[in-house]
Parts: sequence; C-alpha cells; structure tokens
Amino acid sequence: MKLIRRLDYWLNRRRYEAELAEELEFHRSQSGAPDFGNATLAREDARAVWIWPWLESVFQDLRYALRNLRKQPGFALLAILSLGVAIGLNTSFYAVVDAAALRLWTVQDPARVMKVFTRSRNGNSGFSIAEYRYFKDHAKSFSGVVGMERAFVRLGFEGFRKSSHVVFVSGDYFQVLGVPLQLGRGFLPSEDALDEPQNVAVLSYATWRDHYGSDREILGKRIYFDDKPFIVVGVAAEEFLGTTGDREDAWAPLPSMQLMMPNDADTRAFLRSPQSCCSSVAGRLAPGVTESVAQAELAVLGQQFHQEFKLPEERILLARGTFLGGTPKASKFLGAFAFLFVAIMGVLLLACANIGNLLLARAVARRQEIEIRRSLGADRARIVRQLLTEGMVLALAAAAIGVAVAWKLPGVIFALAEDVPPFPVTLDSSVVIYAIAMAAFACLAFALAPALHGTRPYGAPSRLPLRNILLAAQVAMSVVLLVVAGLMIASVEHARNLDPGYRVADTTVISFDVPASSYDDKRSTRFSNQLVKDIASVRGIPFAIADREPLPHSHWYGRFRLPGETEAQAHSIEMHEIGGGYFDLLGLPIVQGRDLQPGDIARHAIVVNEAMARRYFENQNPLGKAIIIGKQSWEIAGVARDAYLTYLDSIAPQVFQPFSGDVIPTLLVRSGAPGVIDLATGIAKQIDDKVLVQSTPLSRNLDLMLAGSSTMAGLAGVLGAFALLLAVIGMSGVFAYVVKQRTREIGIRMALGAEPRQVIRLVLSGATRAALIGLGVGYLASMGAAKLLDEYLYGVSPYDPRAYAAVAIVLSISGTAAAYFPARRATRIDPLNALRVE
Amino acid sequence: MHGYGIAQHLKLVSNDVLQVGESSLYPALQRLLLNGWVKAEWGISENNRRARYYTLTNAGRKQLDAERQEFDRMIIAIQKVLET
Repeated sequence: MKLIRRLDYWLNRRRYEAELAEELEFHRSQSGAPDFGNATLAREDARAVWIWPWLESVFQDLRYALRNLRKQPGFALLAILSLGVAIGLNTSFYAVVDAAALRLWTVQDPARVMKVFTRSRNGNSGFSIAEYRYFKDHAKSFSGVVGMERAFVRLGFEGFRKSSHVVFVSGDYFQVLGVPLQLGRGFLPSEDALDEPQNVAVLSYATWRDHYGSDREILGKRIYFDDKPFIVVGVAAEEFLGTTGDREDAWAPLPSMQLMMPNDADTRAFLRSPQSCCSSVAGRLAPGVTESVAQAELAVLGQQFHQEFKLPEERILLARGTFLGGTPKASKFLGAFAFLFVAIMGVLLLACANIGNLLLARAVARRQEIEIRRSLGADRARIVRQLLTEGMVLALAAAAIGVAVAWKLPGVIFALAEDVPPFPVTLDSSVVIYAIAMAAFACLAFALAPALHGTRPYGAPSRLPLRNILLAAQVAMSVVLLVVAGLMIASVEHARNLDPGYRVADTTVISFDVPASSYDDKRSTRFSNQLVKDIASVRGIPFAIADREPLPHSHWYGRFRLPGETEAQAHSIEMHEIGGGYFDLLGLPIVQGRDLQPGDIARHAIVVNEAMARRYFENQNPLGKAIIIGKQSWEIAGVARDAYLTYLDSIAPQVFQPFSGDVIPTLLVRSGAPGVIDLATGIAKQIDDKVLVQSTPLSRNLDLMLAGSSTMAGLAGVLGAFALLLAVIGMSGVFAYVVKQRTREIGIRMALGAEPRQVIRLVLSGATRAALIGLGVGYLASMGAAKLLDEYLYGVSPYDPRAYAAVAIVLSISGTAAAYFPARRATRIDPLNALRVE
Repeated sequence: MHGYGIAQHLKLVSNDVLQVGESSLYPALQRLLLNGWVKAEWGISENNRRARYYTLTNAGRKQLDAERQEFDRMIIAIQKVLET
C-alpha cells in the first residue's frame, strides 16, 4: 500500500509539491512571523518523506560511477571487454543448455507432458510397443500416452528422394500432445489399428517449406517413403520440432511401419512382441495428478507387465518434455556439459579475480578521496555501496556484450564443429536474465572484497594480502584451464598421428544402400553374392569386402566357446565378416598361419587377431585350434596383427569369418584408383537400379570418431588461451600497482645505494611467491580435473608431465613479460622525485 | 483541522509547552499521509483562504490507540521508577 502511495506521489509529484508549497505559504501567512526559517528547507524536509531518498541516491551513485569510469577509459574498457567475453562464453553455454535441456516441447500446456523412460547401467532407454500399449490401456494417471519410433527413410516425390528422419507415432500423438498444425489434421484412431495399417503422413514445417515449396495444396497428395506411397494429411506448425531429441522430418502412424517392410517378420514382431525394444514414450498427466503419483502407477504397471512376460526388472522414470530429457544421449551430453560448465565458470571467476585486483589497486589509490568523504559524514556502508555501484555499472555493460556474444557464438561453434544441433539455439528472455544474473554474481565476486578492503578505517591492520590471494587464485585457475587444454590437444594430436595399424589415408569406402522395403533376407543375399562375384570378376582392381567398414558407427559382438565349455561359459567376441583381399588392402599382416582363401566358408576356417590368440591360447600355438560359434565349430587358420579396427583406444579380441552374403557388404578400394568408383556403381546398378552408391574416404571415419574430442579440445584451447590472457593482464596489473605503491620506499633504498636487482627482488618477491603458490595449487586441481576427463583422452595420461611442464614454461614466460615493464619502471625511479611524492 | 490549526491547538492545550515549527510539523504530516493514517482535503479556512484539512482515518485511529497504550505503559513505568 505504501508503495502504491509512493508511486502515486512520484507520478503526480508536481501537483503534490505545489500543494505542499501552498500549504506552507498559508501557514506562514497565518502565523505572521516573517523570520520563520528557511522555507525551501522546510519544503525539502517534508518532500523527502515521499521521494525515495534511496532511489535518488542510487541515481547519484550511478552518475558518479559513470563519471569515474570515464576518467579511466583504459581500465573501464579492459574490464568491460574481459568480463564481457567471460559472461558471453557463459551465456552462450546457457543458451545451448536452455535449448537442449530446459526449453519444453512446443505442444499445448507442455508442463503437464512427461517423457517416460527406463534407466539401467547402459543409460536411458525406452519401451517395447507392446509395453507402451499396456501403459496406454491401463494407466489412469495419464489422460493420454503416446509412443514414438524413429526410422531412416528416403522421403520424396517420385524421382526425388532424400534421406530423412521419420518418426512413427501412435495414432493419438497429435491429439494427446496438442501439436500445433499448419495445415490439415493429425492422425485418427482408425489409423492406429495394428492389422489395418493406413498410409498417411504429416510433414514437418521445414520439410514442407524446403522440399515442397510451402505448397498449400499438398494435402491429399502422394509422396513416397522409400518406394511406398503415403498420403499427406497434415503439416505441423513451424514451432513444433518433435519430441524424440533429434531431427524429425515427417510422422506416420506406427502400424504403417508394416507397409514399409511388408516382407519383414521383424517389423510385425516389433509392433507386437513384449521382447522388442526400445521406443520413446510420453504422456500427458491427468488433471490433478502429480508426477510422483504417475511414476508410482507406471512402476506398478511396468512390474506387472514384466512379470507376465518374464522380462528382467526395469526402473521407470519421468522427465520434463525437453529435447534431451530422458533420451539415451542425455547422460553423455550431461558429462560434456558439466566439464564445460566448470571450465567456463573458471574463466568467469578468473575475469572476476582480474577486475577485483584492478579495482583493489584503485580502491587503495582512492583512499584519500574515501577519507575525505568519510570525514564529511558518509558512513562506511554508504561508500561501499558507491563502490559496488561502480562494479555493477561495469558488470551490466559486460552483460550487454555477453548477450551479443551469446547471440552469435553458438552458431559459429556449431559451424566449426560441422555439427548442426536439431534444436534452434535462440535468445529468449531467460538467456538475457541469465546474463544479468551472471553480471550481478560477477559484480559481487569482484567488487565486494576490494570495496570492503579499501574502506577500512585508517589504522586498521592492512597486512591481509588480498591482492596476493587473488593473484594466486588467478594463476591457479589459468593453470587448470591450460593443463586441461594441453592434455586435450595432445590427445587429439596423438589420435590423429596414431597408427591404427592399417592403411587409413589411402583407402576409400564404397557403400550400397538398397531400398529396404523391397528387400527381404533372400533378396539381400542374392544381391550380395552377385555383387561380390561381379566385382571379383574384374581383373586388376585391388578390393576388399567386409560386412562393415573399419571405424564404423556400430559394432557387432557375438559369443563363442572353446571345446569342452558349456553355453553358459561362452565368451564375448567382436565378429567381422570379410572377403576379397581384406588384409592385403588394409596392409594388415598375417603374423602366423595364412590369410582366408576362397572355399574357407565350406572348410569353416577363420582368422583371429593377436589379442584373441593371447587371451585364449596363451603359450599355445593357436593354429588348428577350434572354437565354437553357435553350434558350428571353426578352425583357426591364421593370426592377424592387432589393429584399431573398431575403437581408437582399445583392441578387443576379434574373429574374422569368411563373408557369408547375409548382409549387404561394404567395398573397400584404394583411393585414387582410376574409375573404380564408377565401376562399382555400374555393377551395383546393373543388379538393381534402385541402389544408391556412396563413397567416402576412410579417413573421414577417423575424423568423425575424433570429432567430439576435437571440438572439446578446440573449446578447451580457446578457454585456455583466454585464461592465459586474463592471467597476464592480472599479473601485470598487480606488479605495476606494487611498484607504484612503493615508489617512495624504492627511492629511499636507491638513494642509499641499492642495486636495481635488489630493488626488483624486493618489489616483486611477494607477488612472485603468490604466483608460485597459485601454480602449485593449480597443478593439484589440474590432476583432479584431468582424472575426471580421462574418458576423453586418447593415449594420453591425465598426469602427462609434458603438459604440466609446458604450462609452467608458458606461465613463467608470460609472468616475466608481465613483470618486465613494472620492474623497469622501478629501477628507473629517480630517488629525488620519489621522495617528493605525496 | 489544517496544519496551522494543529500547531496552534498543540500550543494552546499544552500551555505553550509544545511549540511545533513547520519544519517538524509538515514532514510529520507527510509521514502520516504516506502511512495512510490521515487523509487531507482542501477546504476554506475561517478567514476565507484555501487550507488543507487533515482528518484521522480508521487505520489512523487504530494506530493512535496502539501508540497511546504503549505511551501509557511507558509513562507508568517511568513514574514507578521515579517514585522508588
């Protein structure tokens, strides 16, 4: 109420002031005393009750702060820029996290929609379609439950096809979630019948705009999913980006998966079997039901379902509907996010320590001004407030720069990393609020201590080396960032130069993509065998056949047992199927026995790698030994040298079987061999002209495998470089300040005959000691940080002495550079002038 | 009662002991307005001039009672201390 009256006064202050003046005038005329006192003062006193004196003094402080900063443009610019970049990094990071993990799906009332998922040791996962339907039929705490299954489909009009992400969804998906639509309708309950699949589809806005020219007449038109026709019934609104945590180009009802692969028993089973896995599920909470009640109900339902079908137990969790919420990627991203968050916070603290140090130097230099203001009656709190206001002005200016950085930076980084996120990183009010909150935090972090320190009454002990503590903290933080950056860069270099044990640089991978909907197992086998035969018949081309390329995105494990062992004792092993001159083409030597030969499939001969031979046939000759895979016994004919065929950091025991033709093979050829790609394309097209042929250099796989680490190393490098720059600025500021503060003392010592060397030692020893302590603390913290990052480091120990030594060298060079000018100034002090100072 | 009237009244009933000047009267009145304990209306004074008249509001009356009780308690306490 008081606030409203105050506001009313503020808005009508002219009228109120006029009334007060008139009232006082009346009073005077009545009392008739001419020397009644100062009329203006009386009015001011009465007025002061109303106008927030506080607010006025804030404006006063602001004006004063601006004037003060204008007087020192160098300091202001340096502080605003360094803090601005630090806040910018921080805010960019927040903008990405916001888009990926905080912003809710753009559906109706998104706060009531929950992602449902399971969590096991292997991370987050989903449910079988059968279990989803069980939930949907029985869960009372949800007003609707939807299921989603992602698939890769070649999508388009006749003749034009593009690899697209299609999500097969339950028929009530659009109604339950309340997905906003641009055109047409969502799916109908009748389109969700498992035994009567309907070929209908809804397009995403981006697909409709980019590939169908925003055609408003598209409803009812026919498009193709692979080579099956689907009818477009709707287009989603622009803001709807899907609910599975990745790109979504179109949606179709779950039962229509059977239309895509009519010959595939697996698809039928996928939609019906309780054993299949793993589709995404989300639900809308019924009115009045809380999250915990819903979760408890699902836990009971899940247990019933799993008991009925004798499935292992699972843990059911709910998450808010965000891009990452409950997806398998979530935990992986969270690890990277946590690391980046710590690093970026470290940089922000470093920038704060830096400005704190500069402000501290100024606060001490401003002692005289502060003493005058105190003796004029300002209390300490008032002066501290004034100094904090100066800090806040700096911080808010930095926040503005930060928002500008956050507007552009994520796009630049994603472009450099060649990785476009499936969610748009845009600035919204929460990002701006975050930047301002960071600024407020930074202001408190850097301005409070110097303000308190600088306003201490004279005579109070001033031995607290706050300056040195800040300096040490700064050095420590930049050491951590630099060591981590060094280790990450060393690791990427190591991986790049790593000899994977075979020829990566001059090998090209040719892959064949057949339209899955018209290929059953038999046709696949026929295609594979024909392809292998036709390519083998061309003379003079070195080639190799494999079930998959080296360094693939996936791996295939099987189980085998040694003679005499039971099925329960079976060992896990990495399986490869190869043909042609696989080992020759990759330059992988056979170290024992022989390479695979034609006819080995009938002889049941295999090659194993050294790791396999070592693990299971230690101190024995593996040649001629038998292993049993499934029910078939295979004889080891050769041992191949170990090579990083699947991962870059470890080599599992591997078995190489002769190519069976059960899967569509991948062809490996020598890069630059003339005409070989055209030849392979021609051969494949001759067998089936619908096949897509694609060739990529094998080194691309290596790059992709290193991409995550490269990006992280790049980011760590940028952060480390920025940290180093801040540390140098900070150190040189402190050194310069120390020299200035002790000018008089230096003058006296020089007058008494001190050598320049002694002077330098005297002046800089405190700060140098602080920097060394910072280095030590930084090393300890780095070891902890590096240990946490172990999984991102290929072939580099987290305690690699080279990284630590390099940081020490870089820092001592920068430290010397930072100290050089202040030290020179110290030795050039003229004793006579110095004594006159003050 | 208008401001000048209040000052005169205080002076009169206290036998000239309490003389309130404008520099303390008007800030005090403004504070009462700010707290909503009095309301002010313009009227015509005895000698036909525009003057601002103050009246207690309900909230003001309640506040007055509370203050008065507190004051009485205080006076009694002081008297007791002085009598012993």
